[in-house]
Amino acid sequence: MDVLENLFTNIALYARNLLMEWSVSYSVIELVILFLAIIGILGLIVLDALILVWLERKVVGFIQERPGPNRLGPAGFFQTIADTLKLLSKEDVVPRSADRWLFLLAAPIVFVPAIMLYAVIPFGKDMVAVNLNVGLFYCFSIASLGTVSFLMAGWGSRNKYSLLGGMRTVAQMISYEIPLLLSVLGVVMIVGSLNLSDIVSAQRNVWFILIQPVAFVIYFIAATAELNRGPFDLPEGEQELVAGVYTEYSGMRWALFFLAEYTNLVATAALAVTLFFGGWHGPWLPSWMWFFIKVYFLIFIFMLVKWTYPRIRVDHLMHFGWKFLIPLSLVNLVLTGVGIEIYRVMGG
Amino acid sequence: MYGIGLLKGLKVTLKHFFGQHVTQYYPEERPNLPPRFHGCLTFEPDACIVCGICQNVCPNRAITIKSEKGGEDGKKKILTEYRIDLKYCMFCGLCLEACPKGGLRFTDEFELATYHVEEIGRVLYRKKVEE
Repeated sequence: MDVLENLFTNIALYARNLLMEWSVSYSVIELVILFLAIIGILGLIVLDALILVWLERKVVGFIQERPGPNRLGPAGFFQTIADTLKLLSKEDVVPRSADRWLFLLAAPIVFVPAIMLYAVIPFGKDMVAVNLNVGLFYCFSIASLGTVSFLMAGWGSRNKYSLLGGMRTVAQMISYEIPLLLSVLGVVMIVGSLNLSDIVSAQRNVWFILIQPVAFVIYFIAATAELNRGPFDLPEGEQELVAGVYTEYSGMRWALFFLAEYTNLVATAALAVTLFFGGWHGPWLPSWMWFFIKVYFLIFIFMLVKWTYPRIRVDHLMHFGWKFLIPLSLVNLVLTGVGIEIYRVMGG
Repeated sequence: MYGIGLLKGLKVTLKHFFGQHVTQYYPEERPNLPPRFHGCLTFEPDACIVCGICQNVCPNRAITIKSEKGGEDGKKKILTEYRIDLKYCMFCGLCLEACPKGGLRFTDEFELATYHVEEIGRVLYRKKVEE
């Protein structure tokens, strides 16, 4: 069990020792280790996307009493690989009247912040690529960068559906970022630190979902809206907007948007696990395994929510965000502050 | 309370998630068709008296009958070819109803698609040419 527990840290240690023997300078070693971590994270992202696309189709199939993809490989697992190969072979169409550079750059730009989020997430015991002391702050500032690329894609496509979809995405993401941040602040107040590793170690005895249940519900709703997932997927609502910002994209660029969506989904679920479900804490199994079990359970809940509820109307969405979630998160914040003060007085 | 309906919805989808699915794995698993299913026609040449009612009653003129004079007195019609053009047939079954001898029947064969349009017609009977 110890071997499994320390599998990844031992690999890093082994690489470090190997480089030491070759008498490489310290800064180069650090760079190489960081590079290894980035490769590991990229592999994780691709693997996650492959699994999640398959999982999503399986989950929606089961909910609708169908088997889902089942032709290619065991339980249709290789379907995603076949789809990816098809997308790779497709033509990368750029509309003639599109703003070429904005259009071409939007897809990579949406993907970069999604990857950058993974740098600070503690995947297991001592398994964090960069142990940043403002990790949570970093996460939210990076995550909000994704908004820009949606506006770029919407504006650059020169298509009314894309533009409307892009504007809706921006409005939605900006509105729901506020309750998202306010809900997380409660946790930060209890821990007294923005470092994600500190937040995880503060949950050794009790998960924060038990102390901050309202904050978790707000986080969950706002995160669903941030991810543009159902029931808040109106930036790409087919009935009104064809495919929103994705309308003019094809082939690999469209696949990048898709990949970014799932990457963001995993990152958001990982952040929720870190903040509310005790991170990698858990008995018997290795810490990183616990982390992924929790992440995938949360992703399953995300999928269940997406395929249960109908899409919300755009004005209702704004009303819900501004008139309900923000006041609720503010109340939660005040109550948390009062609670902490009472605890301090009582506990001494 | 506010939001109970949302939880009920989640409960319903979760129940279906763990429930049985109803998909039929078609090419591997054949559908269980009702006995009066309208599939392709079959034809009993021995019963046919070449009256031509089926040909006339067909709304889409899908049935073509060819015959020749023959028999003992040389006046009896003898069937040489019975053809049905499946691209026009709408499986209404009027030919079955009209046939005085009950020589036409529906089968449960439903995979009638072909790769080329020329192949879609079906010759149900053709007289063997004696050499």
